[in-house]
Amino acid sequence: MSTTLSTEYDPVLIAILQRQLDHISLQMGMIMIRTARSPIFSQSHDFSCFLSNARGETVAQADGLPIHSGSGGFAVRAVLRDFADRIEPEDVFILSDPYAAGGNHLPDWTLIRPVFVDGELMGFCSNRAHQSDIGGGAAGTYNAKATEIFHEGIRLPVLKLIEKGQLRDDLWRMLLLNSRCPDLLEGDLGAMIGSTRIGAERLADIIAQHGVKKGNAYLEAVLDYGERRMRQAILELPNGTWEASDISDTDCFELVDIETRVKLIVDEDMITFDFTGTSPQIKGFKNSGIANTHSAVYCALSAFLDPAIPHNEGAYRCVKIIAPEGTVVNALPPAPMTMNTVYPAIDIMNACWGALAQADPDRACAGWGKSVFGISSGKKASGGVFVLYHWHGSSGGGAVKGRDGFPTSSHQMTLGGMFIPNVETYEQSYPIRVHRYEMRCDTGGAGQYRGGTGVDYVVDVLVGGEHLLRGEGARKQTGAGVNGGQWGAKGSIKAFDLATGEELACPPYGVEEVEPFHLVIEASAGGGWGHPHERDSEAVLRDVRDGVVSRHAALQTYGVEVSEDGKSVRSTEARRQASGIQPYVH
Amino acid sequence: MLVAPYRVGVDIGGTFTDLVMVDARGAVRAFKAPSVPSDPTEGVLSAVRLAADSLGIDVQSFLSDTELFVHGSTIATNTLLEKKGAKVGLLVTEGFRDSLEIRRSIRENVWDHRRPFPEVLVPRYLRLPVTERIEHDGTVRIPFNPDSVAAAARVFAEEGVEAVAICLLHSYANPAHESAAKAELKRHLPDIWVTASSDIAPTIGEYERTSTTVANAYVSRRVVPYLERLAWRLATLGLPRKLLMIQSNGGAISIDEIGHAPASLVLSGPAAGVGSLKFFGQDTGSDHLISIEVGGTSCDVTLMQHGMVSMTDQIVVDGYHLNIPAVDIHTVGAGGGTIASVDRAGLLAAGPEGAGSTPGPACYGRGGERPTVTDAQLVLGRLKPGPYAGGVITLSLERAVEAIEAHVAKPLGLSVTDAAAGIIQLVEQNILHAVERASLEKGYNPRMFTLVAAGGAGPLHGPSTARLLGSASLYVPRLAGVFCAFGMCNSDLRHDYVRSWLKDLDNQADSRPDRLEGAFEEMQVEAIEVLAREGFTGSKALLKRAYDLRYFGQQWTVAVESSSTNPASIRAAFEQAYQRLFGYVQPSGAIEVVNLRLAAIGRLDALEVSKIPGDVREPVAQSRRPVWINKEVGFVDTPVYDGTVLTPRQQLIGPAIIEEATTTLVIGVRDKLTMTDAGNYHIDIAQGEAA
Repeated sequence: MSTTLSTEYDPVLIAILQRQLDHISLQMGMIMIRTARSPIFSQSHDFSCFLSNARGETVAQADGLPIHSGSGGFAVRAVLRDFADRIEPEDVFILSDPYAAGGNHLPDWTLIRPVFVDGELMGFCSNRAHQSDIGGGAAGTYNAKATEIFHEGIRLPVLKLIEKGQLRDDLWRMLLLNSRCPDLLEGDLGAMIGSTRIGAERLADIIAQHGVKKGNAYLEAVLDYGERRMRQAILELPNGTWEASDISDTDCFELVDIETRVKLIVDEDMITFDFTGTSPQIKGFKNSGIANTHSAVYCALSAFLDPAIPHNEGAYRCVKIIAPEGTVVNALPPAPMTMNTVYPAIDIMNACWGALAQADPDRACAGWGKSVFGISSGKKASGGVFVLYHWHGSSGGGAVKGRDGFPTSSHQMTLGGMFIPNVETYEQSYPIRVHRYEMRCDTGGAGQYRGGTGVDYVVDVLVGGEHLLRGEGARKQTGAGVNGGQWGAKGSIKAFDLATGEELACPPYGVEEVEPFHLVIEASAGGGWGHPHERDSEAVLRDVRDGVVSRHAALQTYGVEVSEDGKSVRSTEARRQASGIQPYVH
Repeated sequence: MLVAPYRVGVDIGGTFTDLVMVDARGAVRAFKAPSVPSDPTEGVLSAVRLAADSLGIDVQSFLSDTELFVHGSTIATNTLLEKKGAKVGLLVTEGFRDSLEIRRSIRENVWDHRRPFPEVLVPRYLRLPVTERIEHDGTVRIPFNPDSVAAAARVFAEEGVEAVAICLLHSYANPAHESAAKAELKRHLPDIWVTASSDIAPTIGEYERTSTTVANAYVSRRVVPYLERLAWRLATLGLPRKLLMIQSNGGAISIDEIGHAPASLVLSGPAAGVGSLKFFGQDTGSDHLISIEVGGTSCDVTLMQHGMVSMTDQIVVDGYHLNIPAVDIHTVGAGGGTIASVDRAGLLAAGPEGAGSTPGPACYGRGGERPTVTDAQLVLGRLKPGPYAGGVITLSLERAVEAIEAHVAKPLGLSVTDAAAGIIQLVEQNILHAVERASLEKGYNPRMFTLVAAGGAGPLHGPSTARLLGSASLYVPRLAGVFCAFGMCNSDLRHDYVRSWLKDLDNQADSRPDRLEGAFEEMQVEAIEVLAREGFTGSKALLKRAYDLRYFGQQWTVAVESSSTNPASIRAAFEQAYQRLFGYVQPSGAIEVVNLRLAAIGRLDALEVSKIPGDVREPVAQSRRPVWINKEVGFVDTPVYDGTVLTPRQQLIGPAIIEEATTTLVIGVRDKLTMTDAGNYHIDIAQGEAA
């Protein structure tokens, strides 16, 4: 690798092009947010926009969920594989299948629009977005009872949705027919089409300014730049081999340990993540496919090293991933896998972060609590079907050096990137009544930097329907502490019939038919960073005043004695000099 | 000789307090006095003294002859940035103490997960519960319990809380409990400063509404006493009328009306550019303008179409969300002090780091080692070496060359000239993207607009940015350096009202025209009263209605101005705006009326463009120097004109450099400059091959 740019390129132009590509991706995202109809897009930003070169390699993805990093390439390359020389200007492709079409999971539909300049294919402009409903065994795309991908909704191979500018209305009708929320689907697909059109026009303009040949060369240069950045960052890690794993305790049907195991090998500017030894694929829908596994590894690595390194596939050229077939990180058909962008992705990230933390403890990232909340669906009084994600039950984030964990944040694999709605908006939009939404006490993993607390979330769902359970963080602690920091507290979930007060069964996973019910969630908490005795005593005092750490725990866990009125620190030294710490004592 | 009465605009910046004075015939003078951060009143009074001195009269006589004194200040923003606000207590609905701290988990850059949230402005132990609950439709489910407020009041007193914010769930639908809580709190703590969310931001969304209300309480401690002191000083010195403040919405308001909503001053200052744009529109003959105001650290972009400036209903200051009607200003970190660097993998970057005023650009010789945009301009001959601003700084070409050589040219393997040109190109790309955000992304074609380049560094980037945008013309005000203070002299009074509606547009029962009309009329009662108190009635009092609309299920609303209450015409107006923004409509899509908005405007007489006697003689260049014009022609021996001697209707063809007291203009090859009637610069941009 040379460390300076090749002289045949104008380095200023490369800098400008890098910014232009990012700008296009962000503009596409802005269009998606503002035009989409379903809250999953407009509110939660569950989508990403990316540009690729003619070989299908992602060259820019400035807008997007971290867990979509790099996986779009698999989809674009599936288009190239299946349509080869039948890709025409004004075509738009659609796909979703993780086995047949480079998708990550079925609910994420990817729209791919080729970009032509002077009749030559220069690249693609795409977005990938989570649809509100795609049929299958449960409303809202997550069928916890699925044992085959066929139970999870419609499977889309690579299809031409728009052919030379002409929407295929037969196909369009088929897509809408397969959704419980065709109105949302229609609006959202419209937003996706519009966003790729504008992105493609802008990309074509920019390439046209330089001409086809030079334009291509500059797209290459952008990938090469990403590669150099990543190689330099990896060079800063020591050479060596480290192992780590994360364990989930259920296959969605029974309590059984499922291990995601990784061996990290750093060799100068190359890095390898070898998942050999990972558990075989499972019956339930927590299997990952190859595209999603790549994304999860990329997400863990980029977040750990330096998120400013471009998230293009050039950057990931020096990353090798070994994912044995038939395991939970590379399942074979017909294993179900809709949940893969959530828990399996987090398991993969945790394993990777665990190994990276050993290589470079200073930058270690404590684990975020795994969520316990589910999804309710039913019919509104006005007649339409609603699908409600109980985002307010989100877990606490993990600490890193320099900051405590976020109190409650969307899942770790989004790095908190899906924002939590306002309670007021939710009560206006859905038949629910929220009773409580507040931070928990003595839950955030103790440490020099404390884990996020998670929340108490109490809500009535006022109409009957279905409730999907996915309580991964409810039975054991899931937010790992690092460097002497403690694990965050586990969460819990309880449900009661609203009319009778009778407690309802809450298995780890399942789809339950429910009457109106009362839901009580304790969200799990994030892990701490560093030994609690290292925490600034003023910060401990503030936590006690704020009611997120008790006086008792301040003394037992942090070694800080707080006065009875809770307003001052009485002493720290003696307790901290004594060896050892105790976990929170409840 | 100036003629009373005067209009005066005073804008306090970090370094200077700008004062612009306009006389009865439209003649303009500008003054700069050093700001006094410890007591901004002093800076204002020094500037007033300078103005009085220039007229040869004392301050009392000057102020007595001042019919309009409009002020903009960054004091509210700085209070937030410097964390120097009040100790605030917050009352919330029981069970919901933490919306403020959870922040809906919004972070600007999701990937940047190591950066903590901005410090929460009210610690949890001062966020206290009120026993009450109102439902989303405004009905009461748990009655208000005054005892909970009494208990909170005891804690606030004990803890020395200085201001209290109240934000209860669904208060936008029914403010009764907030009012009750406010009254109860006042009963226990009669002297405490209290603000309720339903008074200042009655819109749905408890996080943003809480954040706004808390910010309001937080800035009150510094802002309110400052305004009172300044008003008192000016009044005792003879100012006959009330001091007016510029709000974030670009309109002025008397300090009597602003005391309860100091947070609405956060964009006071930059928002005053609205008044300038109105005037420039007249002078340049276009009511479609996009302004770039480029200073030392950043570039502010504002768009005006059909004479109306784009507005927004939410702004973010240092990570804090405020739901306040505001001029839509897009800010990007691109200014004269923006630092250029090359990362380890060989990519050139301009910003986000800046050198500020200390150490400043390398060429200042004040210890700055790293190259900035100003250094690049100097290397390219656009600025000349030597003393500036009356000798306050001296630009050293040698230092600029050294810095660019070491930090950019060498690492990239470029000549110093190419490196400097690359820095300029990159920073202009950043400015371009900011302009696109304000125009293209809002459905406006920037080619249809005249670009206005203001701020000390704006005119250096004006012609090339206009060319990149495809704009046909560029306008540079001679007073580019006092853009905002000048705008204050040309502002209307404005007060914004909003009411949450949240109903289906086509539902007969919910959105019947007479119901909408009734709601607007209720809002108008207060608006008309406020305007009358300020002395605006009849044709001087203008009421403008607007709706925040969206298709059901969407999160983002589109603001549509319409005086109609007829659902069909509201739909038509919405579809027109929606089509412009997004390129399509949902022909039968159900539309939700989210908010009703009312702007109460007190119209002041607009400044007239006073025609200065012109001259059509060929302008004479004072000197020539080699200036790098563009990639194709490189350095060209370029005529340099003294801007202060150019007069209306004079013309010249680029390349040329115009030097003004506070700014420098670069005119590109074949660009045609015409001096306007008011003595400002209008440039027809040469398109086609790179000019």
